Amino acid sequence: MTQAPILILGIGNRYRGDDAFGCIVAGDLAGQVPRGVTCIAHDGEPAGLMECWRGIENVILIDAVSSGAGAGQIFRFDLARQALPEEFSLYSTHAFGVPQAVELARALGKLPRDIRFIGVEGENFAAGEELSPALSKAKDAVIAEILSSLKSQERIHA
Amino acid sequence: MSGSHGGGTRTIKVDYLARVEGEGAMYIKIRDDVLEDVKLKIFEPPRFFEGLLRGRGFNEAPDITARICGICPVAYQMSAIHAMENACGVRVDGALRELRRLFYCGEWISSHTLHVYMLHAPDFLGYPNAVEMAKDHPEAVERGLALKKTGNDVVSLMGGREIHPVNARVGGFYRVPARSELWELREKLLHARELALETVKWTATLDFPEFDQDYTFVALRHDDEYPMNEGRVVSNTGLDIDVSDYDGHFEEQHVDYTNALHCVMKPEGNCYHVGPMARYALNFDRLPDEIRDAAKAAGLGPVCTNPFQSITVRAVEVLYAATEALRIIDDYNPPQRSAIDVKPKAGTGFAATEAPRGLLYHRYTIDDDGIITDANIVPPTSQNQKMIEDDLRRFVPTCLDKADDEIQYVSEQAIRNYDPCISCATHFLKLEVDRG
Repeated sequence: MTQAPILILGIGNRYRGDDAFGCIVAGDLAGQVPRGVTCIAHDGEPAGLMECWRGIENVILIDAVSSGAGAGQIFRFDLARQALPEEFSLYSTHAFGVPQAVELARALGKLPRDIRFIGVEGENFAAGEELSPALSKAKDAVIAEILSSLKSQERIHA
Repeated sequence: MSGSHGGGTRTIKVDYLARVEGEGAMYIKIRDDVLEDVKLKIFEPPRFFEGLLRGRGFNEAPDITARICGICPVAYQMSAIHAMENACGVRVDGALRELRRLFYCGEWISSHTLHVYMLHAPDFLGYPNAVEMAKDHPEAVERGLALKKTGNDVVSLMGGREIHPVNARVGGFYRVPARSELWELREKLLHARELALETVKWTATLDFPEFDQDYTFVALRHDDEYPMNEGRVVSNTGLDIDVSDYDGHFEEQHVDYTNALHCVMKPEGNCYHVGPMARYALNFDRLPDEIRDAAKAAGLGPVCTNPFQSITVRAVEVLYAATEALRIIDDYNPPQRSAIDVKPKAGTGFAATEAPRGLLYHRYTIDDDGIITDANIVPPTSQNQKMIEDDLRRFVPTCLDKADDEIQYVSEQAIRNYDPCISCATHFLKLEVDRG
């Protein structure tokens, strides 16, 4: 049985410290994921995000967040069942970012059936291309988690 | 927001304005049912871009200034590039000039559509945001998303990427598109033009508060085209100057309660209005017949003086941008070179282009090595800031009998009429109403 396409969207700005987290994870995963899984680094522009996941029913969003928690803390949300919390809604142009794209897609009936969000608390969003140590550690954990999840899905579909 | 209603003094404070770009607040003081004070406070920290530019190379300015704004980076690139070319005594014409115009069309489509559908329309239809509006008006929101996507596609092709594009340079572009790439875009733009016409018609069905104002409009005016990248700076009060005379007629002033400079007209220090309404009023005769007909059918005359109706003017400009982009693509013959050589020359260069929110002025002085020794950037929101306060001073007295939360709501609407970009102006908004 052929596995349905899976899309991994790493969101962020490669040049703003920990904000690059999603892009880096997507880049690292690209050479390791099974066939049928696409990894894309994305700037988080809502119309573009919705266009990316059009027609795909299994999506994983990875992004750095700034909720006030400790650096490197990993948050997981099943977006098919729940919205992202308010404190994850900041830091986007015209206050229109990833949470709004998700809710807009939900209102329009265009949210993928299975869409998960993995957020990692960032520490430094200043200009630069280096992740903070706590984020580098979290990166390995998130990559391992996603690869393990993809393997399980492969077994289910095998 | 905080506030109280009753006799004496009422204070309405909005600590963080919604659906605008950047961080700002609004303060309104009402004493004995008379409006006493209005302040638009921009507390987003100053970003010192002009200082950051000093000591950098003249060809770095387009990429540095593009970082001022994630919504209108093309405008910053275009003003910087034209100012540098002006300093070096170079003029770029032909296909490269046309491609720059195509690039700008993409930004107008993308930026205006975001404002029309996601930020402004919920005000007129009674929704707190676009997500709630989408539940009842999915077809409208989907139209907006499709239009914005096409604008993004134009910027992406011409700029190398959607946000903070990197492909424009002094003298032209690093890479110019093949005709085949533009043909792909043409199909999308044909559909976008239909969606834009539907948008013009749709905005005409919205209810606007009556609030016609006697504005001083300032915009570029070009001999034979609707202005984007060049033209003289003109007003409806007789101003008609070369861009190099801008500093002689306009002045930035520091105001203690805001981090953004207020730009006023010399010598009286009057406020003025830049943006789609100003462009439209001063250049209606430069629009093609079919665009003018669409504007008329949507209830617009040659001049629109009700800022709430600016949503329709923006929609008309989206229609124009899609039409103009198609014209450029149909006429396109790729240039032999993607850029012309520009050698630095000591001097001062001036340029103003029409960002989606209005006139964007850049002035740079460079030395013989092309090192920037002085820079001045006057974004549209700095120019409109005093005008927005002026609108509030006239609009709030029409609704003083309302509760504070209603005053807050309509005041925020009055601010959003301008699609203010506070990040640009400091390089957003909290409301405070003081009733005593």
